[in-house]
Amino acid sequence: MPLLLTQFRHELRKLFARKRTWLGFGAFLAVEVVILALLQLPKVQRSWKFFLERAGYGFDQYFSGITLAFQILIWTVFLLGGLFVALVAGDIVAKEVEDGTLRMTLCRPISRVRLLLIKYATCVLYTFALIFFIGLSALAVATLRQGTGGFFAFQPLQGLFALFDSGPGHARYLASLPLLALSMTSVASIGFMLSCWNMKPAAATIATLTYFIADSIFRSIPYFEDIKQWFLTTHIEAWIHIYRTPIPVEQMIGDYAYLLAVDATLVIIGVLAFQARDFKS
Amino acid sequence: MIRIENLRKTFRGRLALDGVSFEVQRGEIFGLLGHNGAGKSTTFGILLGQVYPDGGEAFIDGISVQRERARALAKVGAIFETPGFFDYMSGWSNLEILAAYSGHVPRAELEEAVRIVGLTGRIHDPVRVYSHGMRQRLALAQALVPMPQAVLLDEPTEGLDPEGIHEMRELIQQLNRERGLTVLLSSHLLAEVQQLCDRVAILNQGKLVFTGRWSELAGDGQRFRLDLDDWAKADALALRIVAPQVIELPAGDDIGEVVRRLVTAGATVRAVEPLRPTLENLYLDLVHRAP
Repeated sequence: MPLLLTQFRHELRKLFARKRTWLGFGAFLAVEVVILALLQLPKVQRSWKFFLERAGYGFDQYFSGITLAFQILIWTVFLLGGLFVALVAGDIVAKEVEDGTLRMTLCRPISRVRLLLIKYATCVLYTFALIFFIGLSALAVATLRQGTGGFFAFQPLQGLFALFDSGPGHARYLASLPLLALSMTSVASIGFMLSCWNMKPAAATIATLTYFIADSIFRSIPYFEDIKQWFLTTHIEAWIHIYRTPIPVEQMIGDYAYLLAVDATLVIIGVLAFQARDFKS
Repeated sequence: MIRIENLRKTFRGRLALDGVSFEVQRGEIFGLLGHNGAGKSTTFGILLGQVYPDGGEAFIDGISVQRERARALAKVGAIFETPGFFDYMSGWSNLEILAAYSGHVPRAELEEAVRIVGLTGRIHDPVRVYSHGMRQRLALAQALVPMPQAVLLDEPTEGLDPEGIHEMRELIQQLNRERGLTVLLSSHLLAEVQQLCDRVAILNQGKLVFTGRWSELAGDGQRFRLDLDDWAKADALALRIVAPQVIELPAGDDIGEVVRRLVTAGATVRAVEPLRPTLENLYLDLVHRAP
């Protein structure tokens, strides 16, 4: 067991020794600041004020750090989160094959399955680290700018309109982060599975994003409303249910069971494809 | 120590190995020789469990690589094709990471491997600043942790300058001499294999065309280059002409007697030059003679 942990630690070391990994975190911080700045524009604030006051709530009470953090979180994950998770997962095997480092690794007495499981665990950990970083840094920058207050959770595409006091609002926000990370793990699983096949790392990343985007687009077409449950992004959005009152626990359990089953299937397909490959340039 | 039995492999319908078998004895330096595409790397890939054979099996210390890959590879270190490293990390970090896939390797053992290959002063530099020679030495260092019983070196001097080739050769010989390492190396450089190896296997288009010592490859015949005015006379005397202006005599035959018979037959012999068979000649003969 300790050897497995040592190998896992080295896998993380490989990932976090790359400048690109840290540049990614820097990019997220920059995007968060930009979104925060956009949310401060007078025109944007006016529309929020109009919206809140028309519903009978105080703008000054609910236009707070946590409200802005939630908006930043959604937009950052939408704009960049999927891309970075797909990039890391798409690279994790395919890039090593391309660079020849995997050939060096496979000269060692380690089984292919064990190696892949270590790599997949690295993808999952990266996904969680990234989402927690986005969530917590968004909360930090938004709170620094706007201060604390009530939480107005608003996401029209998912029909979310909820208001919380500061304490319960923060609790829901923090609870949503591991759920969002678990949802994004499915994106990582697609990237990982494709990375195990004989393809370039960029192709694995692009194919992952293509699937993710196509799935979102098709799901939003009314014609497919009846088969909405078949789309992965329907279940990926399960994290947002944590903001509903009451929380639809059974539905969330069903969604995450579905996602975990999909993840497990993708990993098994990836492992089988990798297991059957010859490694020789 | 290393044995392969009747290996067969095709890649997309192209035959890469066709019934190749040979054995490497414990403690010897064995060379796998062949031109590019002859099947050397495929053989190494199968020995390392990275390529699945269509038929046949490879064994390391009696353990089947195909059936118990991890156990079989526990006793070997290897360089397979062009070594790839995590260029953004130091040589030391690369060693630590690669060694961890073999188990817990003490720091002292890593330091010893670095010392053996002569990278002590540069091991903490990022690999991206390493020269090609330093990368090859790092590749050898990683093959030595944990200290194996055998090393498989696929073209270990590929791309090195003459000094680098010399250093690598010295290192391999030193490891074999001082630590009793069994070495299986592949190369298309004849001189390198001749200088390093006790025995060789020669592959041509996926087929094994020779296994044995160099002396066995040379055979017993003796060759001479003749400067002769009329080669029809040589034909008439049933001399074996193996190349333009070159004849081969059976062992024990006297070249003086042959010259005398040629002169008697009316030929003018202007010069006779004994030819020591070079490895290149022998190799080319063998490869071109193969069907």
